[in-house]
Amino acid sequence: MAFTATVGNQQVSCGEDQSMLDAFLRAGVWMPNSCNQGTCGTCKLRVVDGDVDHGDSPADTLTAEEREAGLALACQATLRSDSVVETLGGAVGGGITHPLRDLTATVLSNDEIARDTRRLLLELPEPLAFHPGQYVELTVPGTQLRRQYSLANTADEDKVLELHIRSVSGGAATERWIFTSMAVGDQIPVTGPLGDFFLPAEDSDDGGPMVLIGGGTGLAPLIGLARTALSRDPGRRVLLYHGVRGVDDLYNLDQMAELTKVYPAFTFVPVLSHEAPAAESVHRAGFPTDHFIEDVDSARGWSGWLCGPPPMVEAGVKAFKRRRMAPRMIHREKFTPATD
Amino acid sequence: MTTTSETTTPDRAWIADITMTELERNPYQAYERLRREAPLAFVPVLGSYVASTADICREIATSPDFEAVITPAGGRTFGHPAIIGVNGDIHSDLRGMVEPQLQPVEVDRWVDDLVRPIARRYIEAFEADGHADIVTQFAEPVSVRSLGDLLGLQDVSSDKLRQWFGQLSRSFTNAAMTEDGEFANPDGFVEGDVARAEIQAAVDPLIDKWIEEPAETAISHWLHDGMPPGKTRDRQYIYPTIYVYLLGAMQEPGHGIASTLVGLFSEPEQMEEVVDDPTLIPRAVSEGMRWTSPIWSATARISKVPVTIAGVDLPANTPVILSYGSANHDTGVYDAPTRYDIKRPPLPHLAFGAGNHACAGIYYANHVMRIALEELLEAIPNLERNTSTDVEFWGWGFRGPTSLPVTWEV
Ligand code: HEM
Ligand code: FES
Repeated sequence: MAFTATVGNQQVSCGEDQSMLDAFLRAGVWMPNSCNQGTCGTCKLRVVDGDVDHGDSPADTLTAEEREAGLALACQATLRSDSVVETLGGAVGGGITHPLRDLTATVLSNDEIARDTRRLLLELPEPLAFHPGQYVELTVPGTQLRRQYSLANTADEDKVLELHIRSVSGGAATERWIFTSMAVGDQIPVTGPLGDFFLPAEDSDDGGPMVLIGGGTGLAPLIGLARTALSRDPGRRVLLYHGVRGVDDLYNLDQMAELTKVYPAFTFVPVLSHEAPAAESVHRAGFPTDHFIEDVDSARGWSGWLCGPPPMVEAGVKAFKRRRMAPRMIHREKFTPATD
Repeated sequence: MTTTSETTTPDRAWIADITMTELERNPYQAYERLRREAPLAFVPVLGSYVASTADICREIATSPDFEAVITPAGGRTFGHPAIIGVNGDIHSDLRGMVEPQLQPVEVDRWVDDLVRPIARRYIEAFEADGHADIVTQFAEPVSVRSLGDLLGLQDVSSDKLRQWFGQLSRSFTNAAMTEDGEFANPDGFVEGDVARAEIQAAVDPLIDKWIEEPAETAISHWLHDGMPPGKTRDRQYIYPTIYVYLLGAMQEPGHGIASTLVGLFSEPEQMEEVVDDPTLIPRAVSEGMRWTSPIWSATARISKVPVTIAGVDLPANTPVILSYGSANHDTGVYDAPTRYDIKRPPLPHLAFGAGNHACAGIYYANHVMRIALEELLEAIPNLERNTSTDVEFWGWGFRGPTSLPVTWEV
């Protein structure tokens, strides 16, 4: 008789007399381990749900209190039921996780704000709790296709969601729906919040300087993040780069001007990759990551936030590390915008 | 079959040609052939049988027909009773003495507060330079300072602790024997004797103090724990185990940190993944331990009764050296074992030994290496190997890179 152990999104079948560690390693699932004889404690894990037999786990390595608290030694324990386990120290996010919900929203407005770019405002029947920077999923009507869009909102803007959407040539969600048939008043299903692209909880936010780089509509989550960070700490250094092809792709410029006025340590830098900036304009030429390298000598103690096309995100990670930003302070939106 | 007839059999003659110098420069070639042709063999230069595959090392380390024995050079360096070479009640007492501070629950309480500030301090000393030698400026100092503070040796400088482990280590592995079973290089033990004398001169006054006023240091606990009121363990009884610590426990986390980095530098994509996701560091360290095992071939077992292992008949009282560094390159267990690869199937390795003499410091050592690498890669995520020279490894008994020059943009 075998039971299933679930760790994260992976499932492993464990035989009756097989240690969890053995089953995991055989299935190619990494689990810290060293001695494999119950004496070093390296393989300690938490049994979140389910029943295990501790086997020969020594009391020295796994105390009675630890057993009580749901800990087990993977190299000694066998399963007595299907179980959910997690490795220690690896829990991500920290703080509150907002439950994922399915809601039906009403389209409030759907306006063109830049070249091939819409701002979609969706009114919710009830408030949705989320972290600024997270995203929601829309399902294209009459299909199973789901598309992810970041929220531009701060946490208190929880009744009307703001999404920025760029048209994709031949795109099922954009050309065949949002940019054409979607009308104000339409009822559409929304699922969210999702993702781990958000600020640390307020009490563990050190108020350190931040650089945010967005490509195209990758600006959306950065707006929620930057406004939240600045309201927590108005004197904080926040550097926001928006990379686009040309002037016509820029948007939310009034909002950027307003933030610059209210927060002296906030800087907005629009960067054009395919157009020479007009004389005396604030626009810069090239790529935002190169400008960051020039503008900032050392990013020790900074946090970095990246959302946009994968090559831009990759270049951003490299640029941040080159300026010695600690890798754990580098955050990137991991979903990539649909291209169809 | 006698040992002599076995090694003079024509196709085994090459084993008699193995030299200490060759093993210390690079033991992998000779051991690859041993694993293939004679996985349990008498190696004349070592004056001992050697186990070189994973199965045989594990079998001997865990067999009730064997018990621990210290190698001759090790015994000459440490004296008796060193924890690695004793059995029965004395071993139980010494394990019982060292284990309380090394229990996971105990280590979890203080390891972060102990090691992280030390790692940060050494990084701060060079981070503005744009270049450093990781071995001498980081891996070794972090390793010795952490354990030194734990033992209660705050007043002994990191450089002195590094010097001691070097002297003890070369003496301990001065293993070459003559045909008559004499040490081939008796002068090689002098530096070990010098280190021991210095250690006693530094530690005796501390022991005097701790006998009167017990303190929260490991050595003070060794003196008092489990003893009747008013009594302490005799210092001559614990010194050999102090030397075990001042050699292996001081040196090996440093070896492990440096070897893991060399391995990562050999796989730039894996290095980048680990830098970007520090939760991969324990796995990188584990593969580093397998790839270049710090305690490569330093401990031994002795048969209690006549036994047959892997087809070789061993009379009672036959010592066998366990070459864990070779076992961890066993192609029967690992594909392409010479490659550092954090993606390989994560099978257990033998870098910490096996059986009732397995390393007592695994949990602590793994955390020291993890924290050191977390701090280094956090402070200098743009670390690069200085490729103008090759990295050289040295050692048969204990093995690691002799230096690791790195550079970064400041
Ligand atoms: C990466 C670092 C280390 C490695 C690779 C390592 C590896 C080993 C190995 C292979 C053995 C011999 C096992 C056998 O014969 O089967 C051993 C023994 C031992 N180690 Fe470690 N070790 C490390 C660090 C430490 C540290 C930091 C401590 C203490 C704080 C420690 C304490 C001991 C003790 C007390 C023994 C003797 C155990 C006995 O004979 O009962 N080790 N170690
Ligand atoms: S691996 Fe050492 S206790 Fe499980």
